[in-house]
Amino acid sequence: MIASGSKTHTSPAPTVETQLATQGGWRVVVLNDPVNLMSYVVMVFKKVFGFTEEVARKHMLEVHEQGRSIVWNGLREKAEAYVFTLHEWHLTAIIESDEKN
Amino acid sequence: MKRIEVRLSLPVVAPLLDVIKTSADALNGRLAASVEAPEMEVEYSDTWRSELLASQNTDVKTLLALFDSEFFTSGVVGFDEGNAEAIVRASAAIRLYLREHYLQPLGDETLESGDIEIDELQEPVRKAFMCYLFLATIQELIIQHLDSSILGS
Repeated sequence: MIASGSKTHTSPAPTVETQLATQGGWRVVVLNDPVNLMSYVVMVFKKVFGFTEEVARKHMLEVHEQGRSIVWNGLREKAEAYVFTLHEWHLTAIIESDEKN
Repeated sequence: MKRIEVRLSLPVVAPLLDVIKTSADALNGRLAASVEAPEMEVEYSDTWRSELLASQNTDVKTLLALFDSEFFTSGVVGFDEGNAEAIVRASAAIRLYLREHYLQPLGDETLESGDIEIDELQEPVRKAFMCYLFLATIQELIIQHLDSSILGS
């Protein structure tokens, strides 16, 4: 974990940049399950990510029809917090590196 | 505070409460869903699970509190922004447990489609499936009537 103050360091810059890039490249993926209601999943997406009804429904349908939907990407620490919250809501959610295709 | 009260049929719901209570007891020491914690230190992973379990236990207790002595007198349960979120989540937890422990014979595709003739089911699958539907109905009621309250909490 890199402290935010690391950005102000001038040396060794390449290492810091690499670490920050790695930190930023994470995505939260929600996987399909046969139990949770569509309306429930939409509500959770709205509540957790602040999505509009339309965006939440789009992601819910992706989960339902394609088995997965990327609902967020960014720093690993925040991605973990989102996954924890989704687990609290009993959705199947994982973290993936952006480098994974 | 927005609140909805629902009168339930005691003869229909009371037998389902045994299933809910049994499932709630079973969930006391385990998570409803098989959770894959992100790759992390073992200590952090344990904390992750124990905090999820604590959250789940609190939610399930809130759900069980609906069915108190007053419920057995009046048949009425009440939902508001103070308990709705926990009840919706606890219902999800118990539905996941029911699917894993009672409803596997139905198959996930059938369960997802809902194309099931209740009268053709044998016990204990029948009662578990009725409980599964009952909890979904509670979730739908809360989501339809209290969604904005939950989101605003």
